[in-house]
Amino acid sequence: MSITDASNAGPPLSVRLRSQLGGYGFLLPWLLGFVVLTLGPAVSSFYLSLTDFGLMGPANWVGAENYVRIASDDPRFWTAMRVTFTFVLLSVPLKLMFALAIAVALNKGLRGLTVFRAIFYLPSLVGGSVAIAVLWRQVFAGDGVLNQVLAALFGYEGPSWISNPSTSLYTLVLLAAWQFGSSMIIFLAGLRQIPQDMYEAASIDGASRSRQFFKITLPLLTPVIFFNAVILTIDAFKAFTSAFVVSDGSGGPIDTTLFYTLYLYQEAFTNFRFGYASALAWVLVVIIAIFTALSFMSAKYWVHYDD
Amino acid sequence: MTTLALKQVQKRYGAVEVIRGVDLQIGSGEFVVFVGPSGCGKSTLLRMIAGLEPISGGELAIGGARMNEKAASERGIAMVFQSYALYPHMSVYKNMSFGLETMRMPKPEIDKRVRKAAEILQITPLLERKPKQLSGGQRQRVAIGRAIVRDPKIFLFDEPLSNLDAELRVQTRVEIAKLHADIGATMIYVTHDQVEAMTLADRIVVLRAGRIEQQGSPLEIYNKPVNRFVAGFIGSPKMNFLDVSVVGRRDDGVVIGLAGADVAVPLVERAKIGATLGLGVRPEHIRANGAGGTHLGTLTITHIEHLGGQTIVYGRLPDKQALIVAMEGQTLLNTGETLSVSIAPEHCHLFDADGRRLAD
Amino acid sequence: MTDTVYASNVVEAAAMPEGAKSSPLKRALVYALLTAVSFIMLYPLLWMVSSSFKPENEIFATTSLIPQEFTLDAYRRGWNGLSVSFGYMFLNSLLISVLVVIGNLISCSMAAYAFTRLQFKGRGFWFALMLGTLMMPQHAVLIPQYLMFLKFGWVNTIMPLVVPKFFAIDAFFIFLMVQFFRGIPRELDEAAIMDGAGPLRIFLKVILPLSTPVLATAAVFSFIWTWDDFFAPLIYLNDIEKYTAQLGLRTFVDATAQSDWGALLAMSTLTVLPIFILFLLFQRLLIEGIATTGMKR
Repeated sequence: MSITDASNAGPPLSVRLRSQLGGYGFLLPWLLGFVVLTLGPAVSSFYLSLTDFGLMGPANWVGAENYVRIASDDPRFWTAMRVTFTFVLLSVPLKLMFALAIAVALNKGLRGLTVFRAIFYLPSLVGGSVAIAVLWRQVFAGDGVLNQVLAALFGYEGPSWISNPSTSLYTLVLLAAWQFGSSMIIFLAGLRQIPQDMYEAASIDGASRSRQFFKITLPLLTPVIFFNAVILTIDAFKAFTSAFVVSDGSGGPIDTTLFYTLYLYQEAFTNFRFGYASALAWVLVVIIAIFTALSFMSAKYWVHYDD
Repeated sequence: MTTLALKQVQKRYGAVEVIRGVDLQIGSGEFVVFVGPSGCGKSTLLRMIAGLEPISGGELAIGGARMNEKAASERGIAMVFQSYALYPHMSVYKNMSFGLETMRMPKPEIDKRVRKAAEILQITPLLERKPKQLSGGQRQRVAIGRAIVRDPKIFLFDEPLSNLDAELRVQTRVEIAKLHADIGATMIYVTHDQVEAMTLADRIVVLRAGRIEQQGSPLEIYNKPVNRFVAGFIGSPKMNFLDVSVVGRRDDGVVIGLAGADVAVPLVERAKIGATLGLGVRPEHIRANGAGGTHLGTLTITHIEHLGGQTIVYGRLPDKQALIVAMEGQTLLNTGETLSVSIAPEHCHLFDADGRRLAD
Repeated sequence: MTDTVYASNVVEAAAMPEGAKSSPLKRALVYALLTAVSFIMLYPLLWMVSSSFKPENEIFATTSLIPQEFTLDAYRRGWNGLSVSFGYMFLNSLLISVLVVIGNLISCSMAAYAFTRLQFKGRGFWFALMLGTLMMPQHAVLIPQYLMFLKFGWVNTIMPLVVPKFFAIDAFFIFLMVQFFRGIPRELDEAAIMDGAGPLRIFLKVILPLSTPVLATAAVFSFIWTWDDFFAPLIYLNDIEKYTAQLGLRTFVDATAQSDWGALLAMSTLTVLPIFILFLLFQRLLIEGIATTGMKR
């Protein structure tokens, strides 16, 4: 009759040991994945970066040679750096500004908020696909949509923005900026967190709308801005598909869209220089780490936290 | 229905000791209430009995068998949670049958038990509903039903009434008492509400800072609190504490000096003349306008609360000590007026400087 | 009028700070601006869809979004434009995406459950490492992973795209689920413990049934990102029969060069279509998923 009848008759494992086993049992898939697919490869990639490993022959230890060559004797590396940094430093602020501006506008209590929110979010969702890169190629081609519109509206005969070295990278910046939707949603969520009574108190104190925005909204939103900026920056460093599709995998014209990841891909999977490509990968990891660390260090000067 | 024994039970989180060596014997079929201010460890102690918190030291025995290492489900215990913790995605029936299914009881037996429990608690028409569709009181019943179907030897209640409104709380309190009378199981009940403690308990266990301060029947605790803490915690309005000094000794006690009057209080223990003591008097024991007892002094009224059946008078004695008087019925007194108050010596509690009760 | 607008929106959103009292004129201006920006944002997509239904000679003749002559020709040409029909590639994409969804849901929910609900030594340490992998760029592990899968004989199969997902490699989903699981009252677990349920039964019977919103969110995101993924299939899949739709589309760009824009846009539209449908069906889940974790596109 009592419920102890149902207890297992096995050896009395201690309660604590059982919960240890349970915990590691559930964690096992992740733990295996972490060791085999992340930790192991990370270590061996660092080892590879110190070798000349390629398709031919075994890996020979070359020490820091790959890194020395990257720094001193690889013009394409510096091109890729310049292209990538230009892309990051243009696309991230643009995205942030669009996202914040639209979020603030949408937060004004408009009817149809959900419709607008959906429209602005859609590009973020589809923007990373090949189809959109293909579309972009078409839009900014010599006979593309943009030039058609320009011709129809202003009678201006535009160049091929994609194949023109002085504009090609900016079409990709524009493509990235077009995908501001997910940051906008995060901003909207952040705006909702700001207590209404702060604005009520401010308007009783006679603060104007713009003053409220700069003295209340913006400071209280800085943690969200910071968060978005860090995430967007990391993502921008890793951008690949758009440049690959738009330039047919070349990074052209004349390497003006040679994103760092694209260069890395070419070295690894076109030229099969695995050792050298591993070194390139670690340089990217370090750059992203430095950028993130700098962001966090700067945060204490401009990010407002409650406590 | 079974006994439960705690021997020097301790709970530590790192260096912090939350339960500091609790000894307690609970008899078969007894209704025991743990009461104390928040943070006193009463819920932790309950959860240790339940098996939800590991026991850091000492021993827990149920029906004479050591339970420290047994899993919660092997202790023959059921628990009713403060938030009820009903599974939101399951029907009332499923909520009650879940535990029985876990122990692989045959379906017909499960059905029998669930329906019987539902009958007892009068929730049969609700069996197919989801918790979301129930009122607070109904959820409470389902939570109790979930405990009943398992036919446990011990029921644990963790502040089960705190989410109900006042009226429902009184009603459910009565039902829990009736349930205990009907099924006769051992019950342990945690609350911070002393009215619940007084009305439900066979025995009250007062806890403070991880220690048992006192245990005993509700009236024992009320009549003979062992220290100032217990005296102040049980009873409403709170017991008055006045600083007094011993001015004389008698064969059967001491004489203490109060504002304007000397009062003889029976006492077995010896107290030095000149010693400072605490005099505890419950507001409801103070009589107004010389209705018998020893004169305490003249109270200047600072505030009055009219409760209808009772009147609470706040005031100060001539030596500025505050005193609260609970008078039966209604009165026409006003703030600023005075009131002569007296007390029967047998209702005086004396505490030493450490707050310990002096034996009488 | 301002009052009614305000009142109706209070229901929809918790806080409507600055605009609550703005004038109708200002309001109209904001609407006009938002509508204009939406149109510009959507124009390329609309143009892509409408052009896919136009005859080839009409695509560049006009900027109008409404085809003068409606035709499915471009779809026919595109569908069979490569040596392997696009149908195969869509099936490949679907297979990979569905397997990834299954893998992610199982492995990530298990990890999230361990991190939020089970007590074991080293939990905090592993959790910190898991959060670390969220930030880490995949490039650091790309080449050794490739070499490992090459050794397994998995290159040119879908294994490298699918198998890692059964080992909770997408830390983002663990994080998403951790956030959700933390919101499930712990007393429910404790009630189940009192009911005699072990970790597995609590996981299956209490936590998972209560987590359908987050599981759905993770499933939709998994599907979309896998469907959209280009890099991994590019590296691991070599034979055109094994291509995903994204790879096929990319190959199609090379094959047609710029000669058949109609077919290219038709196939582009088709590859975006599943995502668009999921977006329409699960818009709220996706938006809440982003808002609560504050991450990813």
